[in-house]
Amino acid sequence: MRRRKVLILIGTAALGLGLAQQPTLTLYSGRGQSLVEPLARQFERDTGIRVQVRYGTDAQILAALQEEGSRSPADVFWANTAGALGQASARGLLRPLGESLLKLPQAFVPASRSWVPVTLRLRVLAYNPQKFKPEELPQSLLDLPRFARERGLVGRVGWTPTYSSFQDMVAGIIALHGEAKAREWLQEMKALAPKAYASNPAMLDAIRAGEVDLGSTNHYYVVRFRRAGYALGLHHFKEGDVGNLALVTGAGLLRTGKNLAAATRFLTYLLSPKAQQYFVGNIGEYPLVKGVVTDPNLLPLEEALAKSPRLDFEKLPLDQALRLLRELGIL
Amino acid sequence: MTLRLPHLPGLLPFLLPAVLTGGGVALPLLYLVLRALEAEPQALKEILLRPKNLELLGNTLALLLGVLLLTTCLAFPLAFLTTRTDLKGKRLLATLLALPLALPGYVGAYVLLAATGPGGVLPLPRLEGYGGALLVLSFLTYPYLFLPLRAAFLGLDPSLEEAARTLGLGPLRAFLRATLPQLLPALLGGYLVVGLHVLGDFGTVSLLRYETFSYAIYLQYSAAFDRVYAAWLALFLLLLTGGLLLLEALLLRRLSLARTGKGSGRRARLVRLGRLAPWAYLLALLPVLLALVLPLYALFHLASRFPRENLQGLLEALLHSALAAGPASALAVGMALPIAYLAVRYPSFPARLLERLAYLGYAVPPLAFGLAWVFFSLKGLPFLYGSLPLLLVVLAFHFLAESLGPIRGALHQVPKRLEEAARTLGETPTGAFLRVTLPLLWRGAAAGGALAFIGAVKELPLTLLLAPMGYSTLATRVFSYTQEAMFAEAAPFALLIALLSAAFVGVLLWSERRF
Repeated sequence: MRRRKVLILIGTAALGLGLAQQPTLTLYSGRGQSLVEPLARQFERDTGIRVQVRYGTDAQILAALQEEGSRSPADVFWANTAGALGQASARGLLRPLGESLLKLPQAFVPASRSWVPVTLRLRVLAYNPQKFKPEELPQSLLDLPRFARERGLVGRVGWTPTYSSFQDMVAGIIALHGEAKAREWLQEMKALAPKAYASNPAMLDAIRAGEVDLGSTNHYYVVRFRRAGYALGLHHFKEGDVGNLALVTGAGLLRTGKNLAAATRFLTYLLSPKAQQYFVGNIGEYPLVKGVVTDPNLLPLEEALAKSPRLDFEKLPLDQALRLLRELGIL
Repeated sequence: MTLRLPHLPGLLPFLLPAVLTGGGVALPLLYLVLRALEAEPQALKEILLRPKNLELLGNTLALLLGVLLLTTCLAFPLAFLTTRTDLKGKRLLATLLALPLALPGYVGAYVLLAATGPGGVLPLPRLEGYGGALLVLSFLTYPYLFLPLRAAFLGLDPSLEEAARTLGLGPLRAFLRATLPQLLPALLGGYLVVGLHVLGDFGTVSLLRYETFSYAIYLQYSAAFDRVYAAWLALFLLLLTGGLLLLEALLLRRLSLARTGKGSGRRARLVRLGRLAPWAYLLALLPVLLALVLPLYALFHLASRFPRENLQGLLEALLHSALAAGPASALAVGMALPIAYLAVRYPSFPARLLERLAYLGYAVPPLAFGLAWVFFSLKGLPFLYGSLPLLLVVLAFHFLAESLGPIRGALHQVPKRLEEAARTLGETPTGAFLRVTLPLLWRGAAAGGALAFIGAVKELPLTLLLAPMGYSTLATRVFSYTQEAMFAEAAPFALLIALLSAAFVGVLLWSERRF
């Protein structure tokens, strides 16, 4: 009897030790929980490495990383925007990456070489197909206010000024056309009394519900709604227009991270065909590695890339865009 | 007994936790002020003179006034009908009318968004913005006005109104001049609580897209990361709250309503409704239908589309909510006990001050309070930042005031003589409290704990700001799913919040029963 107890005790202790020995990865995610959670669990099953995730917006995480300084428990920063990664890189928070990782993606490897692009999304215009024909929609995002004015869409335009991709797009306008033009565009938009939504799905749901008629968004949100059976229009502006801005999501290793091996493995995992297929299938984003089956309803990757203006994504003037949005009372 | 110097050593076990509690409320607020003042002059000028501030002020005040008006229109007649008329089934109605307390505002907003508009459960246009926020907040907070008004109606002495009538006033003027002033304390107390809820609300207004101060604070903190402006917005919000507290205190001053004559008060005669009765039922059933039946129906309807594979997330969130709310409510009771004891047994200036501080923790809008703690902990207690203990302590600080009321009430009913007898037998104040008083207090403590628990389960902004990494509760899950318009995914989480809260409303009703 006693021997059995001792054995059980030893067994439990061994199990406890084993669990404690299991490496744990701490991930700070600027991407949403509904997207990250299944992938993190899959990674755990595939590798036996435990993943702890802290969710937040890119801005929140950047701030947390700076406040935490050297005490930060984070190993990986997986961001929603290249802008946030660029800032993290500029502030010396990220580790330079090895060649084996950087050679994986087909494009968009940043000059700083301190993070890898993981997926790609395009800005597009989502609209109610019962209201507009595709050919009558404006050719440039900058013409959107005039178009909306002429069609009497005051109070019927949606936007998401608190969302990082929208803020990146405003930064894109500043980078391509100057701050004066960006200010003018925002003021014209404001004159349309647009409805501000906290998230893109909420805005698309409003277009579906007939509350507003159109709004600039990321392409995969429209894909997601279409897959759910809702009729939503997806409009690309003319080639090279800022309204088609291609935005990468990406991930980097933090200098403070204590689990380098596990963290590198996670980044490699994100660029594996399996994970990339998940991004395409479950979210509708564009993959950045070869060997992934893409959605036939989407533009092929090359065409999509041609639509986007050429920009150094790490140098998007995000601070300037935020200052402008705040100055105009939009934020 | 008042607090005197010789008492101090014996009371130290009470004073110490009480003072720590006071510090926990006051210190982070102080730090918020310091943080806000850190701004450079130029930035400060930009922040203070933003036209947006006026817009936010206007929006916040418009919502506040609208909700106070609408809750009055609901709570006043309902309290009258369920106390002073011959309506059948008054008690059951009163219980049903109090139940919307179990639903937090963001769940109401979510139901409104999911149920209306094309494809919704109800054939109604999408209601949002001011109208939506007004409806949701009014229908979910009117119980805070309804319950005190009911108590006031029940305790009302009809002889005053009768005296006014004999002096030649008509029924209406007699009501206005004799009865209404007697209801004033209940009315103002209720207004204060409803007002604090409106000022502090963040989930409802952000889901329904109506920009108030608390919405703007979260936006500046999380989307546009500007902590200085967020701190200033939090201070503006504190000023508004302070104004509300001051106004209530001023209006209540020099109001003397106690009976001065001999003899006891009489019960008022019941008003016969007669043919008006069906209308009265209609009025009473409207909030039950809108604030209870409809949300539950919509949630069950949506939950049937819940994907099975998310079940584990549901259990995890339930566990997280219980692990946060349980210890936090126990802690709140533990903090409330010494403060209530000092306030009841040793009424004095320091005791009153401590009690006021506890109420201040409740009156500070949660977002401002949470933000203050974020700043304060990062600077002063960095090892605590992002840890579960910090979340527990801050939740306890905030909901402490809700526990204080029932515990004070119970303490008033424990005869002081029992304690004094224990003292003459050689017990210290602490020993007498622990061995004699505490065992008689547990019903009050259970009620106080239940109130704090309900509050903590429903709480959103403090949890969003202070929860450890990856720690998602029922509340944060509902909020993040609904923000993404994933209504079916959110439904079971919202239902669990409602069920948990309702269960503790049950504890509350049970603990109020007397043998």
